[in-house]
Amino acid sequence: MENAIELENVVKSFGAKVAVDGLSLKVPCGCIYGFLGPNGAGKTTTLRMVLGIFYPDAGRISVLGQSDPASVKERIGYLPEERGLYEKMRVVDLMAYFGQLKGMSSGSARKRALDLLEQYGLGEWADKKCQALSKGMAQKAQILATLIHEPELIILDEPFSGLDPINRDLMRDMILQLKREGGSVIFSTHIMEQAEQICDRVLLINDGRKVLDGELSDVRSRAGKEIRLDYDGDGDFLHGLPGVARVNDSGKQAELFMEEDADPQAVLAALVAAGVRVRRFDLRELSLHEIFIRAVGGAKAAAGDTAGVGEMQGEGKDHE
Amino acid sequence: MNKAFLVARHEYVETVRTKAFWLGILAFPVIISLAIGIPMLLDKTKDVRKYAVIDQSGFLWQEIETRIYLEDVRNVILASRDKRKKGGEAFDRLPEVVRRLTLAWMALGEDSQDAFVSRLGGQRSGSATRAGQEALWDPETDAAEFLASGNGDQLFAWWRDTPIDDMSDLDIDLARRQFLVVEVPEERRSAEELNRMVADEQLFAYFVIGQDPVAGSEGSKYVSNNLTDRKLVNWLRGLASGVVREHRIASESIDASVARWIQEPLRFEARKVGDEGTEEEVEAEDTARQWAPTAFTYLLWISIFTGAQMLLTSTIEEKSARIMEVLVSSVSHFELMAGKVAGVAAAGLTVVGSWAVFIFLAVIAVPILVGAPSLGFIGQIIADPGFLLAFMVYFVLGYLLYASLLVGVGSVCTSIKDAQGLMMPIMIPMMIPIFAMVPVSQDPNGLFARVMSFIPPFTPFVMMNRAAGPPELWEYVATTLLLIGAIYLTMVGAARVFRIGILMTGKPPKLMEIIRWLRIDPAVNPSTMEEDS
Repeated sequence: MENAIELENVVKSFGAKVAVDGLSLKVPCGCIYGFLGPNGAGKTTTLRMVLGIFYPDAGRISVLGQSDPASVKERIGYLPEERGLYEKMRVVDLMAYFGQLKGMSSGSARKRALDLLEQYGLGEWADKKCQALSKGMAQKAQILATLIHEPELIILDEPFSGLDPINRDLMRDMILQLKREGGSVIFSTHIMEQAEQICDRVLLINDGRKVLDGELSDVRSRAGKEIRLDYDGDGDFLHGLPGVARVNDSGKQAELFMEEDADPQAVLAALVAAGVRVRRFDLRELSLHEIFIRAVGGAKAAAGDTAGVGEMQGEGKDHE
Repeated sequence: MNKAFLVARHEYVETVRTKAFWLGILAFPVIISLAIGIPMLLDKTKDVRKYAVIDQSGFLWQEIETRIYLEDVRNVILASRDKRKKGGEAFDRLPEVVRRLTLAWMALGEDSQDAFVSRLGGQRSGSATRAGQEALWDPETDAAEFLASGNGDQLFAWWRDTPIDDMSDLDIDLARRQFLVVEVPEERRSAEELNRMVADEQLFAYFVIGQDPVAGSEGSKYVSNNLTDRKLVNWLRGLASGVVREHRIASESIDASVARWIQEPLRFEARKVGDEGTEEEVEAEDTARQWAPTAFTYLLWISIFTGAQMLLTSTIEEKSARIMEVLVSSVSHFELMAGKVAGVAAAGLTVVGSWAVFIFLAVIAVPILVGAPSLGFIGQIIADPGFLLAFMVYFVLGYLLYASLLVGVGSVCTSIKDAQGLMMPIMIPMMIPIFAMVPVSQDPNGLFARVMSFIPPFTPFVMMNRAAGPPELWEYVATTLLLIGAIYLTMVGAARVFRIGILMTGKPPKLMEIIRWLRIDPAVNPSTMEEDS
C-alpha cells in the first residue's frame, strides 16, 4: 500500500450546493498532509467522505487500500472540529468506550487509556467525571481519545482551532510523533502558517475544487519568487526587466514577481546598469497565503464572507 | 453488529445512572402503595358517628337494634361465604360459630335463607320479627340444629362482645364501624343534657322516638349539628320505617307473608356469560377485570412515553455535546441508532420488569412468606400472567414505534427546546388513546374500539385497553402484524432522517425538508447495512 488515501473525481452535493466537485488526490503513507482552504471550501466534507460518514455521489475513494472506507474505521483516528465529551462519564471510562468502539477489548482499551492519561499528565483525573475537567484538560482528553487505538491514519479537522497555547504545542508534537512512528496524518486548516510549519504535502482547495497540490517545497518553488525593492529614481525602467512577469510599483517601493526559472541576479544587474539607486533588494519565496490568493484569483477573497477568507484578505491585499 | 451492542450497553449504563431511571423504578411501588394504603388508612381513621336514642315508645328501639343485628349477620354470612368459596385459610380463621352459621346458611335453599336469619333475630329478642317465624321450616336441616343448640345466643354474644378492630382483620364490616349507639344513663336523658353533648361533639346526633311511632311521626326528631352528612339519619330512618311498617301491617290484620310479598322488590341478578357460553355468577373479580385493563393502558402509556423521551434526551445530549461525529467515525449510523434504541429499551424493560417483580412480591410472595392477607382480588388481577405478558409485548412494540419517531426528531434538534416544536405531531396521536380510554373500556369489542386497534400508533394502547373483551385471536394477530409493519417503516424513515440529521447544527429543519430526506434512497449509502464484515 503506497497511498493512505486516493480520491478520484469525487463529487458530493447537498441539495443544489456542490460541496466537492471532481476532486482527485493522493495522500502517500507516512506523511503529514494539509487540506488548506477557506471555510466552506469542502475540506470537512472531503474528510467525512474519507471516514465513511458521507458517501460520494460520484467518483472513487480508497482508504488504506480499501475501496469501502467503512471497513477500515477501526484503523483510523478522527478528531472532528466540533468535539465534546460525555459530561457525566468518568474520563477513563469515556476513553475506554471510544477505544472499544474502535474494536479494542475492554481490558486493553482501559489500560491504554490509563497509560495515555498518565503520560500526558491527566493521571489523577482518570476517575473524575468529564464535567470536572477544565477546558484545556478536556481538549487534551479529546486528543488522547483519538489516539487510543493506535491508528495508522489520523484525520484531524481544524485541530488547532480553539486550542490553548499549551495544547497547540501538544497537538503539533503529537502530529510529528505520529509521523515518526510511521503513521499518516491528514489535517485541515484555514490558517496557512500552521500548514507551512509542519506539512510535508498540501492540498489547496476552494469552492470544492482543487486549486493545487503536491509537496510543500514543490508548491512553493513552482509558485515562483518575488523581489521587494526599495529604490530612488524613475520607475519606468521597472517594466521590461528580464524575467519579471509582473510589477506592482508604489513609487519608492515595488514588488517584482518573477517568472519561473528566472535569475534574480540578472534583474539586479539590469537595475544597476540602469542607474537606479537600490536601497533594498529582498528576494523571497511566496507564502502559502500568497500562493493561494494568486491561484484563486482573489474572487473568493473579495467576497470575504468568512473568517478564514478575511484572514487571508488581510495578508493578501498587498499583492493584488 | 458488535458495535451496536457496545452502543446499547453504553446507553443502558448511562440511563441507569440517571435520576429519572430510579424515579421510574420507585414511582410505581410508591403510587400503588399509596393508592391502596390511603383508602385503607382513611377507612381506619374514619370517625365513628356516635349517637344516642331516647325511645318514648318503649318498643321501637329494641326492634331496630334487632334489625341492626340481623343486617350485620347477613353481611357476616356473605363475607364469610366468599371466603369459603375462595378456599384457603381465610375461612378457617373465622370464629367457629361464624363458620357453622355460614355452612348452615349455605346448605339452605334461597327461600329459607332469609327465614333462617330472621329466626336468629327472633331468638335474640324473644319477640316478634314475624316474617321469619311464619316461614316454612324443616327441622332436619343444619340451620334448625344451629338454632336448637343455642348457637344463636353464642352468635349474638360474639357480635356484641368482639371489639370492632378484631373484626376488621376478618374483612367483615359491621354497622357499628360507622354508627355507634351510646347508652346514656337515665339521669342524663334530658334534652338539655343531650343538646350539650351534641354541642360538645361528644355525640354526633341523637334521636327521639315519639310515644306512638306506629300511629305517626309526631314527637320523633333527629338532632345534630352536622346537616350535610345524612348517612346516619337515612340509615336509621330506613330501619325504623321497616319496623313501623311491620307493626302497621299486623295492626290491619294483613297476613305477614302477603305483606312481605307485596313489598318484595323485583331483583335483577347480575350474570355473565362464561367461556363455554354458560351463565356464571358475577363476582367482585369480574368488576375488577373490567377495570384492570384501563390501569394497564395508562401504565403502558407512561412507560412507553418515558422510554421514548429518555431516548430523545440522550440523542439531543450527544448532539449538543458534539459527540455524534466521533461516534459515527467509529460506528455506522444504523448501528448507532439501533444501539441507542436497544439500550434505552433495555433500560425501560428493567423498569417495567422491576414493577413486575414488585407486583409478584406484593401479591404472591409476601402473603406466603409472612402470612399477611394479600392485596385481594385487585392484586390477583394485576398478577394475571396474561395481562403481564400482553403488557410486556405491547411495551416493546409500542416503544419501538415511538422510539424510532423520537430518535428521528432528536437527531435533527440541537436542544430540547427545538424538539418541542417537532414533538407536537407525535404527541397528538399519542394523546388520543388516553382520551379514548373510557369509551373503549365501556365497549371493548365495539366498532370504535375495533377501528382504533387497527391504527398502528394506537394499537398497543387500545388492544391493552380491550383486554377485558377480550378481542378475538385474529384481531391480535392482524393488529400486531400491522404494528410490526409500521415499526419497520418508521425505523427505515427514522434511519434516513437520523443519518442526515445527526451532523446538522443550528436551527432544526422544516417538516417539509425532513419529508424530503425520507425520500432519499439509502442506496446512495451502499454499505450502511453491511459493516464489520
